[in-house]
Amino acid sequence: MIVWYRICRFSMVAITVMIATAAPVWDRSGAAGAPDMELGRYLATECMTCHQSGTATSSVPNIFGLTETRVTEVMKAYRDKTRPNPVMQSVASRLTDEEIAALAYYFSKSKKP
Amino acid sequence: MTDLTRRKFTVLAGASLAALSTPLFAPRALGQAKPRLVVIGGGPGGGTVARYVAKDSAGAIDVTLIEPLKTYTTCFFSNLYVAGFRDFKSITHNYDKVKKGGVKVVHEMAASIDRDKKQVVLAGGARVPYDRLVIAPGIDIKFDSVPGYSEAAAQVMPHAWKAGAQTQLLLKKLNALKDGDTIVMITPPNPYRCPPGPYERASMFAHVLKKKGHKKSKIVILDPKPAFSKQALFMEGWEKHYPGMIEWQDPKMHGGIKSVDPKTGEIKTDLASYKAALANVIPAQTAGKIARDAGLADQSGFCPIDPENMKSKMDANIFVIGDACIPGDMPKSAFSANSQAKVAAMVVRSELVKSRAFPARYSNTCWSLIETDDAVKIGGTYEPGEGKIKQASTFVSQKGEAADLHKQNYKESVDWYAGIVADIFG
Ligand SMILES: Cc1cc2nc3c(=O)[nH]c(=O)nc-3n(C[C@H](O)[C@H](O)[C@H](O)COP(=O)(O)OP(=O)(O)OC[C@H]3O[C@@H](n4cnc5c(N)ncnc54)[C@H](O)[C@@H]3O)c2cc1C
Repeated sequence: MIVWYRICRFSMVAITVMIATAAPVWDRSGAAGAPDMELGRYLATECMTCHQSGTATSSVPNIFGLTETRVTEVMKAYRDKTRPNPVMQSVASRLTDEEIAALAYYFSKSKKP
Repeated sequence: MTDLTRRKFTVLAGASLAALSTPLFAPRALGQAKPRLVVIGGGPGGGTVARYVAKDSAGAIDVTLIEPLKTYTTCFFSNLYVAGFRDFKSITHNYDKVKKGGVKVVHEMAASIDRDKKQVVLAGGARVPYDRLVIAPGIDIKFDSVPGYSEAAAQVMPHAWKAGAQTQLLLKKLNALKDGDTIVMITPPNPYRCPPGPYERASMFAHVLKKKGHKKSKIVILDPKPAFSKQALFMEGWEKHYPGMIEWQDPKMHGGIKSVDPKTGEIKTDLASYKAALANVIPAQTAGKIARDAGLADQSGFCPIDPENMKSKMDANIFVIGDACIPGDMPKSAFSANSQAKVAAMVVRSELVKSRAFPARYSNTCWSLIETDDAVKIGGTYEPGEGKIKQASTFVSQKGEAADLHKQNYKESVDWYAGIVADIFG
């Protein structure tokens, strides 16, 4: 439901934007199939603000190189609010399953900058 | 484009900019090899956008960052410097890694923007053509918004709302205080950079006075606003750590700020007069001059943007990010500027090299330190909606929270600082 709603909403945004400004159409091509690395890279820019200097022990930990399963599990737990921390709960609150999959894929395949 | 002309461009790019009054690069229409992004301002907004476009386009876009300062001192954590939690070096950053990341950094002031020709005119007269321009010049202080205040008065009554020499002056004056002295803070009207910043600063002043053993010193905050960010949390913290030391007055209590006198230190309100041993006057603010001069600001003094992409509503080739823009529900913060920069970088790449575009998403968190290991936070996520950047979710620390949660907040903020400065400056 949520996924469909979001896809519909994105298309509506895209159509409005196309008509209004002829700006690029939002690309959702990877959403239905395998994890979408490019989407993951874009969504991950939000994480970089705090996480890029993280180590295994810091309060904002390193997330590069974690397995897809681990990132997915943790992000879903934040989204469900079963894992504490309002910052992360807020970040996760708007992520669809596909977006979490894209993020998890990106971080599992990327090295710390 | 031939090899010869490409070589010529390289030579030109490396030449002394001051010596050139003609365009640094030929216009793209005449055979420019790469599309050009020019960025004005190397703070959280400009630094981030320049680095991200250079990194993610892997050399396909020519990125030039124009910033007069060789080193940038962050306003964020400057209150912690005032309180002795950080040294000046730890909040000061250079552009070496930005350059290594493939960005050409021009240490000069941008004097104007020729929007018709799509060129930035530097203070020395050189012209830098662009295909897309991102401007992130931050704020200018409206000195005359406080009667009696001026740029010269700021040498006696520092605002320290742009970090650097002003912050060092503020610390010098704080260190010279004797027990029984009064600090008067005049806080700014909305909208201004860092909504909780003045109240974190008051907390840090109090931390220093308490540590020095002051028993009689006072901090009076004269506020033109009836309420402020995280007010209940600050007041709870002040009561807990500094009982009786900080007195906050809203306009009903002081009746209006009538004048400040840098010669005598006297500050008059409608209802009282104060002799300030330290006056920290933070006036109203406006978008950086370059943005206003280029006709990108509206009557509010800040620049309207399209929330889908951070483009100026006045010019589709120009993006305005950070404190200079009208950010809808987002506060003016380094976190916001950094977040807006990532949306702008994604859209710039999609327009210049046809990379994929995604829906804009923004986020922000502001941590404020009240006393050692006692920090509170506020934040949220944002998306385009109702013609502005609209809040999608929000959170804020609660009154009466456990001390270890606030200690954790502080640790988080320290990690955030390390992360964001690496994101901006490499
Ligand atoms: C005391 C204090 C505490 C703060 N604490 C926090 C915090 O904890 N968290 C947070 O997120 N934010 C905080 N902030 C807010 C944060 O500092 C600003 O929101 C942020 O710096 C805005 O970034 P910016 O890139 O828009 O502008 P700026 O940081 O102001 O950068 C603008 C840059 O543009 C350059 N420039 C200006 N005009 C020109 C020109 N014509 N040509 C070339 N270059 C030009 C300037 O030299 C400057 O380097 C705080 C602010 C203050 C004052």
